[in-house]
Amino acid sequence: MKQFRKNYRVLKELVRLRFQNLMMFKIGFFGPFFVDGSLFAVQLLVFQAVYSNVERIGSWGKGEMIIYIGTYSLLNAVNMVICFFGICGISGKIKNGEMDLYLTKPVSPLFRISLERINPGSIPLVIMSVCIIFYGIHTADMQPGGKKVLCYLFWLLIMQVFYYDMEVLIRSIAFYTISTAKMEQLEEACLDLCMKLPGIAFYGIYKFIFYCILPYGIMATLPVQSLIGEMSLGLGIYGILAVCIFTGVTAFLWKNGIRHYNSASS
Amino acid sequence: MNVIETENLTKTYKRYKKREGIIGSIQGLWKREYEEKNAVNSVNLKIEEGEFIGLIGPNGAGKTTLIKMLTGIIAPTSGRIEVLGYYPNDLKNEFKEKYAVVMGQKSQLFFELTANDTLRLFKEIYGIPEAEYQERKQYFIELFGVEKLMNMQVRTLSLGERMKMELIAALLHNPQILFLDEPTIGLDAIASRQIRGFLKQVNQEKGTTIILTSHYMEDIKTLCGRCVVINHGSKIYDGRTEALFEKYQNSKKITAIFEQPVDGSRFLTDGLMLEDTPHKKVISVPKEKTYQVLQAIMEENPSDISVEEEEIGTVVERIYKGRSET
Repeated sequence: MKQFRKNYRVLKELVRLRFQNLMMFKIGFFGPFFVDGSLFAVQLLVFQAVYSNVERIGSWGKGEMIIYIGTYSLLNAVNMVICFFGICGISGKIKNGEMDLYLTKPVSPLFRISLERINPGSIPLVIMSVCIIFYGIHTADMQPGGKKVLCYLFWLLIMQVFYYDMEVLIRSIAFYTISTAKMEQLEEACLDLCMKLPGIAFYGIYKFIFYCILPYGIMATLPVQSLIGEMSLGLGIYGILAVCIFTGVTAFLWKNGIRHYNSASS
Repeated sequence: MNVIETENLTKTYKRYKKREGIIGSIQGLWKREYEEKNAVNSVNLKIEEGEFIGLIGPNGAGKTTLIKMLTGIIAPTSGRIEVLGYYPNDLKNEFKEKYAVVMGQKSQLFFELTANDTLRLFKEIYGIPEAEYQERKQYFIELFGVEKLMNMQVRTLSLGERMKMELIAALLHNPQILFLDEPTIGLDAIASRQIRGFLKQVNQEKGTTIILTSHYMEDIKTLCGRCVVINHGSKIYDGRTEALFEKYQNSKKITAIFEQPVDGSRFLTDGLMLEDTPHKKVISVPKEKTYQVLQAIMEENPSDISVEEEEIGTVVERIYKGRSET
């Protein structure tokens, strides 16, 4: 409890500092709203181009696909607001020895790195993503009850954790190798693909890859399936297991990595 | 009471030995040869509470690696290490609350913000109550004389001013041990002297144990009662700083100015003429011959004369070479 309170105080201060930092330059503060908004608009155009000619994917109709797009955008936007820009710096910090300063402070280095570069510029994307989800629900002519909504929120939460795990996992490899640039490219390609195609579109070996090895395919698919009432018990258990396993592997790689950290020379 | 104890502390790095050319690179894809380098080699060290210790050695000697092991940043390959009763690489928060580290080449301040902003974050990280925070901050602001700089953007501060802020940030939580890795690097003489003065005061008033690495012997001579010399990862001297310089500072520099032209060869019984003009002689003489040479110079009625200690750089070179000669 004491640790939780301390982390909360540190988080509050990190957020405050980040806002102050961004506000030092007007463009630095307002720019991301414009850039992230443009990025989002481009994504929407891509989705529209892809799905305007597709009536169904598996059992999903237009409404479900719009919910999927909204869900993925929401996961992505929340990630960008909270931790994306902090985590992106991990490999560099390991490589140039900057991690030294994090390891010598009495607060979890991962906690501090993850949350020290929050990005308020992506908050509008969160709002727009929620709007897309509501539009999808309307298009699918659904009236999900409280239980389904709670289930959906639960899956959103654990998939947000899962997304975070995957990001940290890939960058933790920098503790053991010289560079993670290629891994980050692979991550980007997988995210790009899974943002456009829901997990239900994969079959055979592709399903194995995107559900088990690089499980980006389940990230937005499972929350949507829980909302539209298409999730089987087995799939639910698999989803929770996958998150637990990947969280464990990430924690192990990170902790072990810190112990093997060969700080770059002075 | 010992706050730091190491026994046979060793850190070994494995380095890939690449053969020359593209063929060597291709061979390296399948079979690699590694060589092991002992960055720190069986170092035994005991440091008592309140000591001010200097760690000196040439580049690549292992000073920074030793500091990194003592602070837990890297794990030792073998040997025993205990700092304030902890194994540093366990990276326990309660251990990290008891020490601070300042690295001359790595800043912990937020460059776009003010030092006050960074201090606020550190207050929360170290869980310092508000009243204590204000009191300690005020103490250091007065000590370092930086009242007017606290609300300036860090990036606009000079190197010396920034280092003062780094030290305040490091000392804010009253650490028992302060590790300083080249804190005066790049600073001008005035800023270096100021920093040395503050460190001395902190060591005396707060009883903080300070471990300092520096290439500037002036830092070590002025501040550290004890110094440890490291070369090629091994400890080659551990004792009083004065004694070290007495041992290795074995000549003096005499400068004499004459109104009439003088032949300098008669002063050179055992020394080395560094500058020889008709009116000025600069001679390096062994310590024990100083009196004799001075007597000879005085017979020529010099208009001015000065006797200086040997240049520190030369002494350091001798200290580092001293090990390989024995």
